[in-house]
Amino acid sequence: MKKKFNLSFERGDLLPFLLILPTLLLITFVMIIPLFFGTFISFFDFSLGGFDLTRDFIGFDNFVRFFNDSTALKSMVVTVLFSIGAISGDLFFGTIAAVLIFRLSHRMSSILRPIITMPLLVSPIIVGLIWRYIYDPQGILYWFLGLFGLGIKDFPGVTSQSTALISIIIAHWWQVTPFVIIILTAGLVSIPHEYYEAAYVDGAGSFRAFQKITLPFLSPMYMVILLISGVDTIKIFDIIYALTGGGPNNSTMSVNIYAFNQGFVNTNMSYASTISLFAMLLAFLLFGLPFIHNNRVQHEEYK
Amino acid sequence: MKFKGKWYFSVIEKLILVIFLVWTVVPIYIIISNGFRRTLDIKTMPPELFFKPIFSHFEKVLINDNFMKYFFNSAVVAISTSVIVILLGTFTAYGILIYRSKFGEYFSVFMILGKLVPTITILIPLYIMMNKMGLTGTYFAPIIAHSAIQLPFITWLMLSFMRGLPKELLEASKVMGCSRMKSLFLIIFPLLKPAVGSAIILTMQYSWNELMFALQLTNIKTYTLTVAIAKYTGALSVDWGKTSAAAAITMVPIIIIGFFMQKYLVTGLTAGSVKG
Repeated sequence: MKKKFNLSFERGDLLPFLLILPTLLLITFVMIIPLFFGTFISFFDFSLGGFDLTRDFIGFDNFVRFFNDSTALKSMVVTVLFSIGAISGDLFFGTIAAVLIFRLSHRMSSILRPIITMPLLVSPIIVGLIWRYIYDPQGILYWFLGLFGLGIKDFPGVTSQSTALISIIIAHWWQVTPFVIIILTAGLVSIPHEYYEAAYVDGAGSFRAFQKITLPFLSPMYMVILLISGVDTIKIFDIIYALTGGGPNNSTMSVNIYAFNQGFVNTNMSYASTISLFAMLLAFLLFGLPFIHNNRVQHEEYK
Repeated sequence: MKFKGKWYFSVIEKLILVIFLVWTVVPIYIIISNGFRRTLDIKTMPPELFFKPIFSHFEKVLINDNFMKYFFNSAVVAISTSVIVILLGTFTAYGILIYRSKFGEYFSVFMILGKLVPTITILIPLYIMMNKMGLTGTYFAPIIAHSAIQLPFITWLMLSFMRGLPKELLEASKVMGCSRMKSLFLIIFPLLKPAVGSAIILTMQYSWNELMFALQLTNIKTYTLTVAIAKYTGALSVDWGKTSAAAAITMVPIIIIGFFMQKYLVTGLTAGSVKG
């Protein structure tokens, strides 16, 4: 006689709920209530002092203000530019490094991996500091460039509006490329060796094999990287906080930095909350919708 | 993947890798070594490879600037967060597993939707709430904020590992008269070692390195290391001796832990991409 798998839920069984309850409470308290509360205070002139439901109600004023605030709009543009620059570099350098490391002997790559993943463990605020030191006008970058006869006028780093954003993107590449390498390595391992042999027998070159075999195999990994590190780029805060604080002339003012400054420097909590809602909308439009679409396509494929 | 082509391709490949290694290691090395250099030498270019290390920056940071205390605070927050996340994450995953509802299937969607919410969107209202309740400045505030952010992913990680365990195992434990909680602790939990390892390193590094929540939810008594370092950067000119020493104190422990838990770190990071 086959016994039914008896650990499962039965009517009136409370254990599963009791197990899930603490997490549910925690997430409700830290994420769900703040999300509603944050939306709520966006419609009020809210300060940490007194608060009156009718007196402080301002309707859509904060939202109107957002669209008339050139710094706020610029911060959205800066965030999107940062996101594009950061992700494309992460993927480009990450792919090259992952393929090259994969070609090494197993021993060599297992020695290299812990070294290469080190930046992932460094706090982003320290990443910002490290690069602040590197970009210092008397610092190591300009000494290095000086060896080639280049100076601060050729690459003004974080001191100029024109290059500040790319300087921050470079610092981000330094930290996140290892993540891409780890994920892509997992993808490369899964590609059957015979595919390459067949391709070479047919006379394909290394590049063509990469284009026709490696890339298609890696495409699900790219989706994941795009989603995970893409969302993180919208949230960029620490590196900018340490490197430029949003300057010069707001050229590195990401939407998170701007909302943070409005809230905790200008103590304008309700406007800061409105800005942060737009940050969430941006993350949703750029990465949430493509994910949901992709998920649906996959589910339909299974049917 | 074999490579064909001329011998010099192989040389170029090795060269690119060497440049990549230098690019990765040198910035970390400079900051750590600057902690041991005299302030004057930090500004001297090129940096000397061999120098007589001094410890005065570390002394100043640890004793005068109270980093000993901040180190302790960071450890309290990171360790408490990890314990909470692993316990609750395992419970929740087990609850979903034995409930066997459709909800489990959509858990990854729920997890991703949670990830789309920027920290700042949560932080502003959470700060107001915590402030009203008098909870800012306690260890409690950053610990539960970090836990709630990490829980969806860790729960999903635990769930996907539990699903990989053979069902016969659970049935056997039932036959032997184990209660469901007993079989979670005695049979399932020990088998989740890779998932628990990944959860520990991922949560530890998140909580130890996190800045934004900690910046607003702690006060001078409960500052974590990242907050204390952030206070150094506000100034127009940075005291690089002290800052480098502080950075070294913060990053070396987690790099060492990460080094020994390398396998779990990779498992945790790739689990999200391969199974998701």
